[in-house]
Amino acid sequence: MNQQVQVEHVFRHEYGKLVALLLRRIGVQHLDAIEDAVQWAMAQALDFWCKDNIPSSPSAWLYQVAHRHLLSEFKATQRRSILLTEHSYIAQNEVIELEEAPFAGEMSDSMLRMLFVACSDAIPIESQLVFTLKSLCGFSIREIALRLFITQANVYKRFSRAKQQLKNQTLELDMLPDDEMVARLPSVHRVLYLLFTEGYLSSHTDTAIRRDLCEEAIRLTKLLGASKFGDVPNSYALLALMYFHLAKINTRQDSYGSLLLLEQQDRRRWNKQQITVAMGFLAQSATGNTISRYHIEAGIAAEHCLSPSFEQTPWEKIVASYELLHSIAPSPLHYLNHAIATAQWKSPEAGLAVLNSIDIPDWLDRSYHWYAVQADLLFRSGETIQGQAYAILAIAAAPTDSIKQLLSKRLKVR
Amino acid sequence: MKNKTYMCILRSDTGGCEKPSPSEMELQYAKYQAWQQKFASNILDMGNKLGAAGSVVRHESVNDGPFIELKEIIGGYMTLTAKTLDEAITVIQASPMVASEGTSIEIREICTP
Repeated sequence: MNQQVQVEHVFRHEYGKLVALLLRRIGVQHLDAIEDAVQWAMAQALDFWCKDNIPSSPSAWLYQVAHRHLLSEFKATQRRSILLTEHSYIAQNEVIELEEAPFAGEMSDSMLRMLFVACSDAIPIESQLVFTLKSLCGFSIREIALRLFITQANVYKRFSRAKQQLKNQTLELDMLPDDEMVARLPSVHRVLYLLFTEGYLSSHTDTAIRRDLCEEAIRLTKLLGASKFGDVPNSYALLALMYFHLAKINTRQDSYGSLLLLEQQDRRRWNKQQITVAMGFLAQSATGNTISRYHIEAGIAAEHCLSPSFEQTPWEKIVASYELLHSIAPSPLHYLNHAIATAQWKSPEAGLAVLNSIDIPDWLDRSYHWYAVQADLLFRSGETIQGQAYAILAIAAAPTDSIKQLLSKRLKVR
Repeated sequence: MKNKTYMCILRSDTGGCEKPSPSEMELQYAKYQAWQQKFASNILDMGNKLGAAGSVVRHESVNDGPFIELKEIIGGYMTLTAKTLDEAITVIQASPMVASEGTSIEIREICTP
């Protein structure tokens, strides 16, 4: 049984490490060949591990097989002579390298470097996200499409764009200078945050699918926090934020898979251990003299996690946090949450006043969030007819059935 | 009744199917483990894969690979022990190997005098 536990996610997690390590040693321009080789090594593992049991170091085994495959592929191509001279050292040192102990450290280091290389300003964030999911987290195009609610063709397009850019810049993993690593840190945080929210906010009915995006984000963020460049307060704030939300993830749906609002969630089922972990990270993030959106968002999540009931939530503090958030990272979505918190703290009319005080960008104007909050606050202020109109718009704009159901229930539209 | 030994010959379609993703391989691996645990007393030897290249030696000729004319090639073998052919069939039917389309497993008793 132990072995089964050990093997859980070995394939997917090793995938990213191996791809990163091989990219570092052989070159970013060979990304396709490297991904094929890692895939091939895993297919071999599937056959051999069943027969001889899992090797003592699955990483080293997979690396060896992938590497050998890659070299034989290279030999088979015309580029043979060039590559062999460039990489003859690998062939010679192959066996010795495999027996070296600091292997694991080098792997995670390569993975982080790959993340930084991918988080280039030249690559749109959607492509950064897809690249991270594919090459670092080991999800297939189909699995990514399922998780991001986009078509496979679209995933492929985003992935190719990132790949093309990486090949063009021919930037080797070790060539990113230290100051550039530091400069890219905010982009790395941003993509990890997006990875997490894609999972957490997803209306996917399969909790396991949402959870594994969240867990991937946490895994990579922890790796980041443990590294030379990522050991900064913002990384810990991000981890705190992730753990506070993760603690609540199981209660976001009822037993029929319908989404539940915060006030309907069973707080006794929130994961106390994860909340404790989150508090630890929050404390760790409270050093230095800068405050990031992650700090504030983690703070807001903490208030929710720590209050014994929806009614006892310290709304005044939450409103103040949203105001602070506006000044650091203005976003129309924050205004919505600000309006909701204000409605709880003061009155639905005060919430509406917050909503009406801002210019709404087009994309948000058309989103169901906006209509739904409008409808809810209007109903609660007694403006039934207007509320009804917004409720219908909200339901029409909702992207999935489970959200439509949630809205119908909440907004009492028949 | 003494147990018999069966040779299981795995054939698979040469047609390229979509490569499994790491998650799918994880799942597949877990299925193998569960199957192996369940039928540990039946599985004598998980056998091996056979390489794609090979030769066929005949009385007066040596040909590369007999595989060209065949739709399915022999990809591997394993041995089982079971009281009857039916029991061996049950074991193989429960295996993840036959779950994939384009794979067939031939079960033959290894005869001993």
